Amino acid sequence: MLEVRGLTKRFGSIVAVEDFSLAVAAGEILALLGPSGCGKTTVLRIVAGLERPDSGRVLLAGQDATDWPPERRGVGLVFQSYALFPHLSVAANVAYGLRFKGGDRKGRVGELLALVGLSGFERRKPHQLSAGQQQRVALARALAPEPRVLLLDEPLSALDAALRKDLRAELRGLLGKLGMTALYVTHDQGEALALADRVAVMREGRIEQVAPPADLYARPRTPFVAQFLGRANLWPGRVVSVDGDRAIVEVAGERIAAERGECRDGDEVFLFFRPEWVEVGEGTFTAEVESAEYLGDRWELRARFHGLPLVLVTAHNLRPGNTFPFAVSSALAIRR
Amino acid sequence: MAGPPRRLTGRRAAGAALALLPLLFLGVAFFWPLWDVLRLGLQVDGRWTGERLQAALSDPYVRRLILFTLEQAALSALLSLLLGFPLGWFLTRYRFPGRGLLRAFTIVPFVLPSITVALGFVLFFGRSGYLNRFLMAVLGLGEPPIQVLYTLWAVVLAHAFYNAPVVARFVNAAWERADPTPVEAARTLGARPLRAFFTVTLPLLLPAVLSALALVFVLCTLSFSIPLALGGARYATVEVGVYLYARGVVASFPRAAALAILTLGLSLVLTYLHLWGGGTFSARQGGVGLAPTVPLFTRSRPSRALWLLYLLPAAVVFLGPIAAVIADSFLHPAPGGASPTLHWYRMILSPAWNPFIESSPLAAVRTSLVVGGGATALSLVLGLSVSAVLRRVRSRVLETVLMAPLAVSSVVLGLALLLAFRRPPLSALGGGWAIVLAHTLIVYPFVVRAIRPLWDALDPALPEAARALGASPFIAFRTVTLPLLGGGVLAAGAFAFALSLGEMTAVAMLSGPGVMTMPMAIYHFLGSRDFGAASAMATVLMGTTALAAWAWDRAGSRWLKRDGASADSRPPAENAPLSFASPPGGGEGRVRGNPPPSGPKPSTSRSAARPFGRFHA
Repeated sequence: MLEVRGLTKRFGSIVAVEDFSLAVAAGEILALLGPSGCGKTTVLRIVAGLERPDSGRVLLAGQDATDWPPERRGVGLVFQSYALFPHLSVAANVAYGLRFKGGDRKGRVGELLALVGLSGFERRKPHQLSAGQQQRVALARALAPEPRVLLLDEPLSALDAALRKDLRAELRGLLGKLGMTALYVTHDQGEALALADRVAVMREGRIEQVAPPADLYARPRTPFVAQFLGRANLWPGRVVSVDGDRAIVEVAGERIAAERGECRDGDEVFLFFRPEWVEVGEGTFTAEVESAEYLGDRWELRARFHGLPLVLVTAHNLRPGNTFPFAVSSALAIRR
Repeated sequence: MAGPPRRLTGRRAAGAALALLPLLFLGVAFFWPLWDVLRLGLQVDGRWTGERLQAALSDPYVRRLILFTLEQAALSALLSLLLGFPLGWFLTRYRFPGRGLLRAFTIVPFVLPSITVALGFVLFFGRSGYLNRFLMAVLGLGEPPIQVLYTLWAVVLAHAFYNAPVVARFVNAAWERADPTPVEAARTLGARPLRAFFTVTLPLLLPAVLSALALVFVLCTLSFSIPLALGGARYATVEVGVYLYARGVVASFPRAAALAILTLGLSLVLTYLHLWGGGTFSARQGGVGLAPTVPLFTRSRPSRALWLLYLLPAAVVFLGPIAAVIADSFLHPAPGGASPTLHWYRMILSPAWNPFIESSPLAAVRTSLVVGGGATALSLVLGLSVSAVLRRVRSRVLETVLMAPLAVSSVVLGLALLLAFRRPPLSALGGGWAIVLAHTLIVYPFVVRAIRPLWDALDPALPEAARALGASPFIAFRTVTLPLLGGGVLAAGAFAFALSLGEMTAVAMLSGPGVMTMPMAIYHFLGSRDFGAASAMATVLMGTTALAAWAWDRAGSRWLKRDGASADSRPPAENAPLSFASPPGGGEGRVRGNPPPSGPKPSTSRSAARPFGRFHA
């Protein structure tokens, strides 16, 4: 439904987006995830037609839309600030995009406000609404003209944490129900993992990895992705032997089995594993606890293994200074 | 998708056309005419030469014009300081009922058309004016004790009337922003109040005082109708000289052009100096403290009654002339006592031909309204398009070009258009158009100044949201941007209208047979000693300008309040009346290329303290 090829955009000497390619299938929610300043909003604005790329193409439903002005693209855009028209009522805000189309405006406005749970708020002005309600109006306004693609620019970032989580689930349900194709820009990994069918991790204007959330979490391709999504142990080492999908990585003089990933024999790699993949009380390695943090149902431990930092979660109550045996139940070699 | 997609290049072209429109207008109505002035003053037989300038400079009359201009400007600045500093101090230091009102009142002199002030001075300070009559009656004198009219002092006093409130606002703003702790420190270190004032407070206020002085000096240098009406040909400034050479009995366009170039150079130098100084001065500003105030009326400090020695004469100087105009407009003079009448108001609406103004009073009112309406409409269109261009293209060069008319005084502008309307293409238009164009050029920079901060404070996502929802750029502007700027645009329009109504300088340069506006009519009534008619027209004019200034003020503060969250240029509520987009000088050409009369604003002090800050904002 939406495809971009080789986008590059510079602002002065700053390269915001470089050789960026991505495709979003019809009905798919794709999250564009990255730290602030990585160029994700620029991509969104190029897709919306609010910025012009220096090079590269934007395709909408197979047609080259690179040179189309925003009003011809048929994309809905939800702004971070919502950008509700302060001089118009809720109903007039939602109806704004309908004035450029035929059909029953009033009915459609009612339908959309019902969809986002704001029936009865038609006559209110934006400033009379709570932040969460404003967010819903912005969503309804963007959906009203039946866009082919919905673009969302950090739509939940202005809300407080609890509300954000509620709206996240609601948004997911709503987009799924409508079968909407959506590009969702966020810097919040939790939001991306919870909402998206696929997540594209961006860094400094480029894509690091595109994958479904579970894959991204379990099988990051780069150390950046590994660290950006959740907590990670990354130990420097070297692949000493390869057997099919498996590799043996030598770390601090010890040999540890791992998934091979994209590495070859002899590569300098990071041995990557999540804290919850560490099994305490088994195996041949020992580590010493440096600090322990009680999380309620389990402990998060920071420990040292041959001088390397080790983060893990466990149900065992271990105190700083304790040593314990552990095994890594699953690990992945990531090229450095 | 609806319809065939338009090419982006088409939008680029539309954007370029948008920038070309104001450039084209300024080219035809401003730069080309100005070029005519330069050629006339600097070319002899097609050769560039300084002969005409030299000839002008060696003329004793011209030398006297220049010397007088600088002399009266310096004296005016000093008197403004003398009258204004205590007022600023008073407003800062004391709490008393009506303090806010008094502070708001300091804007009043500034928005008054200066011909009405000149009229007020004649009526109040004249030989048989109210003040002399009062003093003669009280003191039992046979001769009027005060004889200032048609002297240097009349000009200086009228300039002080205008500019003392400016100084007061500067001082008040700087003082309120000054950190009070250094003074407290000085007191704990053993300094007595007076010593602390001279060693700590005054040095801290010095930048603001110097800024205000420089500003007032520039304003008075470029002043026109005050010296014209109160000084006559003998006490004329360079600006008046340009007018006399262009429109007087011994008309000489080349000499007028040479003088125009001199005054242009003078104003550019002064502006540069002020900018340079303003930058230096404001570097030290930026405190946040609010000076503590004390109640004015307490039994324990009877010494504060000393303030009456200042406040009473000040009130006489400021309120007397205005009151005299209003009073005279309702009085029928007769030997043995005046009687109330509406005769003068009936007269200024009369369609009968009046030989003194070479038109009928009603026609003058009508012309003023038509010219004002035309200039308002044009300046709004021009102001909006210039604002739009400057939002897109952040170029200092382009900004200087698009705001250039600010740097040229009304007299020079008038001369340029006078010359331009004698040749194609502008000669195809009628004489009234010259005045409309002049007023447009005078007013639109203020429209730009009013609109740009509002526009900048507007979330850029709003028009973008409209675009994404299917609106074309024009529709997005009309349905989203314009309504959100709405109040600001209306206020700017009201202000533009008031400014045009009161403007006399360009009209004096450009008026012709049958083209007579209200300020010019007042000037001629004044010349023919027809004080009743002059007063009635001046009262109407003052009322209209005051109303427009008030509307501008209200709308301004309301708009800034509403968009407050995003407007970092928001002035504090207390100073809102003046700070909002700074209405410029009297509805008349007395100040051109003039700075805002506002004191330094807390948040935008750097640009507010300088007359041409907009070039550098």
